[in-house]
Amino acid sequence: MNNNKHEFAEDSFFISRRKFMAIGSAFLAVMAIPVGWFASKVASRNDYIKSRSAGLYKDDSIAKLRVSHANPAVEKYYKEFGGKPLGHMSHELLHTHFVDRTKLNS
Amino acid sequence: MHHDQHDMRPIQKHPLNVRVFHYILLLSFLPLAATGLLLFFKPLSQSGMQLTYDIHIVAGVVLSLDALAFTLIAFDRVVLFIARVFSLSERDVKWFMVLGGYPQKFLLGKKVPVPPMNKYNSGQKLFGACVVIGGTVLILSGLVLWLIPHAAPRDAVWLLGQAHLVAGLLLTAFLPVHLFLAVYRFDDFKAMMIHGNVPYHDAAEYTPLWVEQEIVPVTANQQRNK
Repeated sequence: MNNNKHEFAEDSFFISRRKFMAIGSAFLAVMAIPVGWFASKVASRNDYIKSRSAGLYKDDSIAKLRVSHANPAVEKYYKEFGGKPLGHMSHELLHTHFVDRTKLNS
Repeated sequence: MHHDQHDMRPIQKHPLNVRVFHYILLLSFLPLAATGLLLFFKPLSQSGMQLTYDIHIVAGVVLSLDALAFTLIAFDRVVLFIARVFSLSERDVKWFMVLGGYPQKFLLGKKVPVPPMNKYNSGQKLFGACVVIGGTVLILSGLVLWLIPHAAPRDAVWLLGQAHLVAGLLLTAFLPVHLFLAVYRFDDFKAMMIHGNVPYHDAAEYTPLWVEQEIVPVTANQQRNK
């Protein structure tokens, strides 16, 4: 009993053409749903970042002091404590350090 | 029943393309299920988990290509499979009420009447529907989780991760059931694993509606295709 000796097989087209088209197109439509969902997710992925930066720009535009080096507190810090910008003390205090916590390499 | 009373004339149940697809699916899904469980419970060392992850990726790519290729090359088989597994009738309700007579056969050793089934019984149809839907979910979510986990929107990645987990656990839970019943139905096992054919008496016993409504002598097909 091997492949080319079978005496019976399924009728080569036992569902109607109309049903075949309906099921085939329903399958393709369902496959398109996750693609559409993901595309809309990607399209709106930066919405909250955009509204956040819009809020920051708005805050800036109505602020009295609009640059950090004009901030009296910062001026006072450098004058009385930190020395000069990018100096040794400022580097020690204001720069952060990172630890590589990656678990998987690929 | 005595052996020579059996009608052994072969009916083709699983054509060659289906068997090749099933073999690649089998060889890719088994490592995927094993490594998937390992990735979930994380019992190994850093390098062991790394190897597990790499195996999961390679097997996942093989399974995805298998599914894509079969959908493109044998779209008619995909449509037929969907038509079969998503068909629902009163017979399916009655089948599930006796669970195909299998518990009665295994636990009590008695035979109960089972409604006549088409090519797949109701349990196989439920499994088939879970494989179609769950497999699609696993492939699509797996691609995103593998390739663009940091570029894709993070809530979408979280949702896809949960979907990947649920679908993976569901299909992995089906696996021992599928393996056991596949070997139990040994004529069908040989058909899928070796030559594609089941003997007439086996098909008539387990899949009477299929034999009645869809099976024709091969000469009829040859004449039609001329």
